[in-house]
Amino acid sequence: MAKNYDVIVVGAGNGGLVAAATACKLGKKTLLIERHNLPGGAASSFVRGRFEFETALHELAAYGPKEKPQGIRQMFNWLGVDLAMHEIPGAYRYIITGKDGFDVALPNGREAVIDKIEEVVPGSRAGVSKLFDYGEECIKGYDLLQAGKLLQEVAKLAPAFVKYATVPYDQVLAELNIPLKARQILEAYWCYIGIPSDTFEFPYFAEMLVTYVENGAYAPTNRSHEITTALVHAIQANGGDVWFNTEVKRVLTQDGQAVGVQVGNDQIYGRQVICDLVPNTVYAKMIDPAVVPEHTLKLTNARQLGTSGYLVYLGLNKSPEELGIKDYSVFISSTGDSRTQYERMNTLDQNDFMIMNCLNIAVPGCSPAGTSLLYATQLYRDGSWDQVTAENYDEVKDKIARRVIKQYEDATGIKISDAVEEVAIATPETFARYMRTPNGDIYGYYGKKWGQTIARMANLDKEAQPIPHLYFCGGSSFMMDGYSSAYFTGFTIGKMACAALDKEGVKNE
Amino acid sequence: MNKNEEQAAFTKLGELNQRRQEEINAAAATDLPKTYPMNELVKALHPATQYLKVTEIIDHGPDAKSFVFAPDKDKGTTKLATFQPGQYISLRLHIGDSYVTRPYAIRSTPLQAKEGKYVLTMKLVNGGFVTPYIWKNWQVGTTVAASGPAGELFYEPLRDGKNIVAIAGGSGITPFYSMAQAILENTLDVNLTILYGSRRHDNILLGDELQGIAEQTNRVKLVNVLSDEEVPGFEHGFISKDLIEKYAPAADYSIFISGPSVMYQFVMKEVAQLHLAPGRVRHELNGNTAAPDQFAGYPAEAKGKTFSMTVITRDQSKTIPAAANESLLIALERAGIIAPSMCRSGICSACRSQVLDGHTFTPTEFDHRRAADREFGYVNTCVAYPTSDLTLKVPVHDYANQFG
Repeated sequence: MAKNYDVIVVGAGNGGLVAAATACKLGKKTLLIERHNLPGGAASSFVRGRFEFETALHELAAYGPKEKPQGIRQMFNWLGVDLAMHEIPGAYRYIITGKDGFDVALPNGREAVIDKIEEVVPGSRAGVSKLFDYGEECIKGYDLLQAGKLLQEVAKLAPAFVKYATVPYDQVLAELNIPLKARQILEAYWCYIGIPSDTFEFPYFAEMLVTYVENGAYAPTNRSHEITTALVHAIQANGGDVWFNTEVKRVLTQDGQAVGVQVGNDQIYGRQVICDLVPNTVYAKMIDPAVVPEHTLKLTNARQLGTSGYLVYLGLNKSPEELGIKDYSVFISSTGDSRTQYERMNTLDQNDFMIMNCLNIAVPGCSPAGTSLLYATQLYRDGSWDQVTAENYDEVKDKIARRVIKQYEDATGIKISDAVEEVAIATPETFARYMRTPNGDIYGYYGKKWGQTIARMANLDKEAQPIPHLYFCGGSSFMMDGYSSAYFTGFTIGKMACAALDKEGVKNE
Repeated sequence: MNKNEEQAAFTKLGELNQRRQEEINAAAATDLPKTYPMNELVKALHPATQYLKVTEIIDHGPDAKSFVFAPDKDKGTTKLATFQPGQYISLRLHIGDSYVTRPYAIRSTPLQAKEGKYVLTMKLVNGGFVTPYIWKNWQVGTTVAASGPAGELFYEPLRDGKNIVAIAGGSGITPFYSMAQAILENTLDVNLTILYGSRRHDNILLGDELQGIAEQTNRVKLVNVLSDEEVPGFEHGFISKDLIEKYAPAADYSIFISGPSVMYQFVMKEVAQLHLAPGRVRHELNGNTAAPDQFAGYPAEAKGKTFSMTVITRDQSKTIPAAANESLLIALERAGIIAPSMCRSGICSACRSQVLDGHTFTPTEFDHRRAADREFGYVNTCVAYPTSDLTLKVPVHDYANQFG
């Protein structure tokens, strides 16, 4: 029985899938183990009646068109994953319903966005143009860092990255004399990472904004499940094994090093073990506490779990045209202040930041003719659902759904509540159920000031193997949450683990 | 960026890292929590396995019984999960060499679940595999493992109107019995009209009990429809469009259907003539057939054959026979493989497996797969039939003992 692997990956989330696909692409004998019967973690789909709903993806970034492939498309090409993807039209529409509110639909493309913001908030042009220059430099900065360049060199080639590395996004926008309203419009993406703009490190936010606006965003034809299933096939095509419905109970250690995993009563040995799990789960339940270094335990205690999600999935029996829906992505709140929006994410009754997506706008034909597929998303901070019990769960869940649907109807004037053919709701409990993350966390770790991408990446070499031969990828790894980030961590960590094997191999010869 | 700015930026970056180290050093080295409130809530609302114990068996004439269950505390189940009236649990049974599942709608109510009680009502299927075993072996004290509550045949306030017309045949009455009683207990806020098809007036499963509920609340109306005899006070014939229109409320309503395949095929044709909005007709648990060749698109040459199926489970492999008229799941169960399954009607996708080689047939009516699963060759084994020799990768469970 084959029970020895070069690389064992635990967890088939986006990060784990790519880590495993990378390892077997590099010729390593690889095993990917997943507890659930589907790949993807939150990146999945489910069928209700005539609809197949997208569980999680809003916009896949860093993909790019075929003729100008960005990082993720290049990675997928290398892995042998070739899917028909749809470019999402427009960036986002942002509606603030309260005092000093606005309703702005941002297009794609740098100049179009600058023009639009100038039109809505005269006097913004110079600042916003500069912001885009900086954002382009920040993209370059991350690329240079990933390529192993030193900060001195980054400072020369991408000065804005270094200059604003520790400055909050909102502060830079203020320094650029971008008027408040325009700042708020340009801060909507904070929700994709869950850090308010007064704390969010500038380079990452600017990189994200410019990546979305200039390179566009993508969605697969058949929901996230198509990407994850294609990745499973890429693994199998390169000789890797994938086991579903299989729970790793323990990470096995010997002499303080990870040497494999326990599945049921079987011990499977692996020279490298990569976990696409929240490290808290591993340290609390899956490994001998004696081998966890004090520094690692302290780091894990010092961090804060990220947010969880709440989604209402709606299959409507009218087409987007009949309903009057034109936008793929609409962000709605009563206030444009991201700090207030973030603070309210701590409460069940005050949280009024929501996103409504209509998938048909990006992927025509994603639901039958004459129907539309919508999903509303809210984020809730760790702990905000702790008081919900089995007794009041349904009531809380339904109440928020009604509120979110009404908020969308009031903000847009589009009536959807009388066209519901199918509905399903996901809460932090749902994410805890399917992903088994602590408290249903979907965003990995919250980005405290000292724990966002720059600090994480700067410490990657030191922290990548908290225990020899044990690595982590995915949302809790060295980047923040999101599909592209999870893929990148899987790719980087997968390569790192393989490189270490190659080095050992040379040593042994 | 001038030299000074650059120097200042490097200093700030150094400070950021310094701060990181300080925060880590200042943090506790205490053990991390083993669980969290949401993960505990999952155990209460959506347990992967519930261990049950039979506390009472009620006879309903010669061919039907109700089994009353309490949590099997010896096996670690202390409470029963709540559910939506209309949902089912899937029992996991070890019969002879086979490990099989059977979904049964919970006939009792959420209030009773809270008090530690589920009731399942079954009809004996002569020549069947499971019910004769249960009739012969189950007694008070028998233990059985089950899934958590599942299924989509329930009232959803964000979607459905306040009026539900339930169409039931035989033991298909159980989800509606649960709804009726929940209405009586004030935990379900709908008006329910039950059109209940039976053969004869003296053979209506739970007929008296349902009548009792209907007499206590005007929100539950019961119409018995007899196919085999004409008796005053009962409707006669099948549940037709005219009959539905006669009893359905004038206002906006949804139709829920639960019953044997034959009834379902008939009723769906009648319901279609009512032209209700899509989504206003819901049904469940109709996915089994022993005659896949009766469905459109079946390759005629496969009929009557027995194929050879190589089954890969993790790092093991085994070759077993697979008859054309039985689902892949049944072939797996006959061979003693502990294959995952739950709803057995093509909906829940618990039995999702990968066809590595060969061909299968899934009737369109039962094909609720994700598009990418169709694209990449995955099937739901409970509704997929072999049409050639094949190789199937089955994700057998390793954890807990799925079968108690």
